[in-house]
Amino acid sequence: MIRTVSGSPLAPSVKVKLINAGFQTAADLTEVQSLQLCKAAGISQEEADEALQTLHDHSLPLQQRAAVQGLTALDLLHQEESWGNIVTFCSELDNVLGGGVPVGNTTEICGVPGIGKTQLCMQLAVDVQIPVCFGGLGGEAMFIDTEGGFVVQRLVGVAKAAVEHCAALVEDEEQRSALESFTVEKILSGVFLVRCQDHVELLAELHLLPDFLRTHPQVRLVLIDSVASPFRQDLHDLSQRTRLLHGLAQHLTHLSAQHGTAVVLTNQMTTKVSPGHTHLVPALGETWGHAATQRLILHWEGAQRFATLNKSSSRKDATVPYNITVDGFRDASISVSSVLSHSPAAGSHSKRPRTENQHT
Amino acid sequence: MCLANVNSAKKVLSLPASDLQRLLQLSSSEVQLVLHAVSRLFRSVPPVTALQLTLGEFPSLEPGHRLSFACPVLDELLSGGLPLHGITELAGESAAGKTQFGLQLSLSVQYSREHGGLGAGAVYICTEDPFPIKRLRQLITQQSRLRPNIPPALIRSIRFSDNIYIEHTADLEALQTCVTQRVRTLLERGLVRLIVVDSVAALFRSEFQADEAIERARHLLAFSATLHRLSHTYSVPVFCINQVSDVVDGPNPGRCDYGLVDSKLLPALGIIWANQVMVRLMLRRQEGCLRSGEQTSAARKLEVVFSPHLARASCLCGVWEEGVRGISQEGEVKSSPGITEQRKKDFLEPTDSINRTA
Repeated sequence: MIRTVSGSPLAPSVKVKLINAGFQTAADLTEVQSLQLCKAAGISQEEADEALQTLHDHSLPLQQRAAVQGLTALDLLHQEESWGNIVTFCSELDNVLGGGVPVGNTTEICGVPGIGKTQLCMQLAVDVQIPVCFGGLGGEAMFIDTEGGFVVQRLVGVAKAAVEHCAALVEDEEQRSALESFTVEKILSGVFLVRCQDHVELLAELHLLPDFLRTHPQVRLVLIDSVASPFRQDLHDLSQRTRLLHGLAQHLTHLSAQHGTAVVLTNQMTTKVSPGHTHLVPALGETWGHAATQRLILHWEGAQRFATLNKSSSRKDATVPYNITVDGFRDASISVSSVLSHSPAAGSHSKRPRTENQHT
Repeated sequence: MCLANVNSAKKVLSLPASDLQRLLQLSSSEVQLVLHAVSRLFRSVPPVTALQLTLGEFPSLEPGHRLSFACPVLDELLSGGLPLHGITELAGESAAGKTQFGLQLSLSVQYSREHGGLGAGAVYICTEDPFPIKRLRQLITQQSRLRPNIPPALIRSIRFSDNIYIEHTADLEALQTCVTQRVRTLLERGLVRLIVVDSVAALFRSEFQADEAIERARHLLAFSATLHRLSHTYSVPVFCINQVSDVVDGPNPGRCDYGLVDSKLLPALGIIWANQVMVRLMLRRQEGCLRSGEQTSAARKLEVVFSPHLARASCLCGVWEEGVRGISQEGEVKSSPGITEQRKKDFLEPTDSINRTA
């Protein structure tokens, strides 16, 4: 692979000077010292250092770069397994997702208003904190609220139900002692909230997110509820919107892999009119569909709520029913025959939170 | 930076990184530094934990109180009343009593915080009918009957009608200037802590034809964005009244019915508006009538369609001389036995069915 100077991520002025001085490809620069480069191209020493550094890194063949970082597919697999999943408290949905929302990946949740996107987000913000001995991650969550749907009162309700649920599962001493510190206050102090009113504030927050994650390594989940709202309200220039969204998606994918956090985005639905009929599709356009690794669509079917895994690189598509109860996001109490038969994944589920409808 | 005409933080952040790199003649790592520094300047509040919010350390993010409906039953249904952040919508057919709710809130907002109000006036934006001034006068004189717990002297001391700012807007342009300019001024001066729009549907439904859907969506988004911003900046509840439309044909994948399978009516303005609404309420006339003392009123059902913090529940209410009041489960009203208020259960059964014998 020939790496050209013009295609490198250097400042344009530096690039022009390098090319004028006759350096066309990265190979041309391998033998050159920075001081020589200064003189030859008429650039400052810092610029020369940066240019050499950048081009040197990129000129390595791909296999070699992978070897430098020491990541093989097997390593990646192990890493992914060690990161784990965040349970949703709806066992059918967990099965579909392969144990819950995967950490180290981005997941998009789409749905009509009132279907339970925010409820699922709050449930995940609580569930990520379930202690390790209960099969959880013992992490913390960052909640970026752009719609104003984050109501603390509701989070308290969901947290209470989760604590009670874990209390009912206690089997050994380790779990008993873990439960003592797993209180509603503990859960609330592990949810960080930021409110953003427009896309500029959201982008600013995302630029600061890597720093935040570095100082708060416990944060294993970043929720953005919703991405659609700020970008649909203020941005009328569609091409700019697409480019900004594209950058945002890349940034988040990078972030989730680098820091080992799950990123969950919510998106609104919009009506698509095609000749003869209309149907509901996720907002923000076709290109945005590539943004997240997984896409989950929540929808009504009569009076029952359903979740459909619409896009995933590792799981097959499926549709399962769920309910929103006073306790949060739960299994549907009725079994629906139309659901595609989905064999329950092998392995013990004793630690998976079961659902019982306490109020029926 | 100024040379490249990128002189505001907003502009820097809303440009894609590659554009910025070209404009500022910087390398990609330098652009990242610039973005980071600008973001730091731009952010007002660092992340706060939910615990700090429950302790009330950040009243601007979580006020911790709500605007009361001046009726314990309605307040219980809405867990304290109208949230101070976000848009609350009340949809219903004509003559369901939607305006009555708007009027009652414009009065209740004027009480002090300990009595469920916000201690300021209201701005009432009429787009449909002229403002029902006679009914307002009647409500004001009957306040002591509606609020028996508040000392009459206190009620008399509030000059209710002076604190309601009425705006009539006949077209969309007027509506937009009203919310962006006049309402903002009132909020800045602290004269007003409630925005009522009666109704959102009227102008958006009348000004556009069927083929102007995109234009309508654009206006609707701009309008709701303004309301959102005002609500969050000044911690002001926004109460929007909406019309309903009939469900004409059979199952349609392009329509979102919010699980209201038994309903023949859905709130107007479609999914674009629904996406902007935080709490959606629906008011429906029921058969039978309610009696309280000497008065009778047609029964109405107020239902929570969706909300991030409320169960899907409903309660019965009636419109009386002194205002809107809900009917509690025990029922001081005789003509409605057999009403089971399925508050908790409705979470599990979205299509609640109220068994009525009346």
